[in-house]
Amino acid sequence: MTPVHIRTALFLNPIGRARREIITPEGVPLTVELADYGERVGAFLLDVVFLAVTNILLYLVLHVAGGQSVGGKVVLTIVLFLGFIVQNLYFIYFELAWRGATPGKRIVGSRVVNRRGGPLSQNSVIARNLMRQLEAFMPLGALLSVGGAGGGVWQRLALALWLLVFALLPLFNRDRMRGGDLLAGTMVIALPKRRLLADLVEAGIGTDFTEQQLRAYGAFELQILEELLRRPENRETFELRRDVCERVCRKIGWREPVPAQGTLDFLRRFYTAERAFLEREQLYGRRYEDKHSAARQ
Amino acid sequence: MSEPIPAPGLVIKSSEFRRGREQSWRDLEVLLDRVERRGIKALGPDELERLPGLYRSALSSLSVARAIALDRHLLLYLEDLALRAYLVVYGPRRNLVQDCKDFLLHGFPAAVQGARWHILVTLLALLAGGVAGFMLTVGDEAWFNTFVPEGMAGGRGPASTREALLSEEIFAPWPGVIDSFLLFSSFLFQHNTVVGILSFSLGIAAGVPTLILIAYQGLILGAFLALHYDRGIALDFIGWVSIHGITELGAIVLCAAGGLLIAEKALFPGRYSRVESLARVGGEASRLAIGAVLLFFLAAILEGGFRQLVQMTLLRLLIGSGVAACWIFYLGQPLAAARQ
Repeated sequence: MTPVHIRTALFLNPIGRARREIITPEGVPLTVELADYGERVGAFLLDVVFLAVTNILLYLVLHVAGGQSVGGKVVLTIVLFLGFIVQNLYFIYFELAWRGATPGKRIVGSRVVNRRGGPLSQNSVIARNLMRQLEAFMPLGALLSVGGAGGGVWQRLALALWLLVFALLPLFNRDRMRGGDLLAGTMVIALPKRRLLADLVEAGIGTDFTEQQLRAYGAFELQILEELLRRPENRETFELRRDVCERVCRKIGWREPVPAQGTLDFLRRFYTAERAFLEREQLYGRRYEDKHSAARQ
Repeated sequence: MSEPIPAPGLVIKSSEFRRGREQSWRDLEVLLDRVERRGIKALGPDELERLPGLYRSALSSLSVARAIALDRHLLLYLEDLALRAYLVVYGPRRNLVQDCKDFLLHGFPAAVQGARWHILVTLLALLAGGVAGFMLTVGDEAWFNTFVPEGMAGGRGPASTREALLSEEIFAPWPGVIDSFLLFSSFLFQHNTVVGILSFSLGIAAGVPTLILIAYQGLILGAFLALHYDRGIALDFIGWVSIHGITELGAIVLCAAGGLLIAEKALFPGRYSRVESLARVGGEASRLAIGAVLLFFLAAILEGGFRQLVQMTLLRLLIGSGVAACWIFYLGQPLAAARQ
């Protein structure tokens, strides 16, 4: 994104997702939004639930299929063994097959990407998921078994601390990386899902603003105006537009009164003219970032 | 300066640009929607062929839009479109059969050979632990209980007699398919894999815990050896262990070597930043770990299944050294120049 776009985005949504830039192998920088910590945790918990359901189903199937003939202990062992394999392969398989998304990530809408922007390699996927064993499954398993056998308080505390340290690791670095991401050179982003909307500019629209008037604003104000025009129609939007319309008229010295029903139409005409003007100026190498830099010229 | 801009001359660059390119964006979007919902297989061969071209044209549209357009929505849309296409085009390749073949024929031996110094250091740590464990336990068998956890000792200890060790352990009868393959093997596999992954991932803590863990495995082994040595059945013990132990120790050593590889890059990142340096070596090290998990799997099968089937020490030693020779041959084979 260009600086003006980032400024607009921050103005419109100051507490949005953190943004990072990756460079594609073609050399074009792309803006990505990091997945929130809550989304990361949510995706992981969903995956754990899916794994647990799989294990329970496995147990039931095996129990019904051959539980009587070989005995419960054997069934349990097989389930533990298969469960262990499934647990390790689940994440690796899905992140490879679904291009960086496990079922949990897919539901939450996040993806694993290469932090440097290259292709996501299998080695990275394997490395980041092997670390899961150390970060979560082993301490969790130990905590559960220690709890069952009445292990010492200190042991339990140490395990809990271990879990906590790894669970909070993403909060203490810039790219929200957990241990596995650190090792694999990956990060988790939120999946974009914008659709193309209609252009606000109307072809062949007449314009009756002078260049002097158009110089009053810069790209930043133009984009805020665009956002205002794209807002869903309701009472609040209507009042906001009225207000903005009045300010614009005052600023550019527009003498004709704009009727309440004509507000949207007036703003659109102004938007079209302003964008045409600013884009033309930009083509000549004159960038007006905002109204202050526009006024100085 | 202040006459109105004439209406017919009103040219809006970004709108013209959008009209010209919009169709190719929409085409790409349709393809992406299908891939995101049903996977890359949802595309036909000609669509697959078009995808990279459409992706590159979306990238170029984005670059142009950044330079000329002030339409915020258009720019955001193109950013998203390019990113979605990038994720599809540069997602991991998935030809699992071919990948497994590549890994076994080339990737795994190459990773092992690349880490030979780390393997050497690990072996030294294991040896040091083994010698220490042996010397201490030979002198005073009480050390055995210190080194070997109860679950692993399985009733063996200073109190065991030579006869008990021979009949209940070394030459114990084969317990049958279910007990040996299912109960014992799978337990061993899980336990060993966890030890391996632990020693691998603890490399991130500068490698010290990895070396301690390895030396400790050596201590346990040394203590066991000493226990049998004191009763004059050291050779029988070695034969008994060698059938699976070669593979199992090899796997542990590989995991730990992977851990050391990580530790080295974390401690001495060279010209990269520490985080960058870790990321560069993580994939390589994880190949070692995956290979090691395969070895653990084989070791568990050897241990659970075949160890008690062969009841002669000489034959066991032969099998053990045969297995070792196989591994050395496989992992040490001269490889063609790296294909990556």
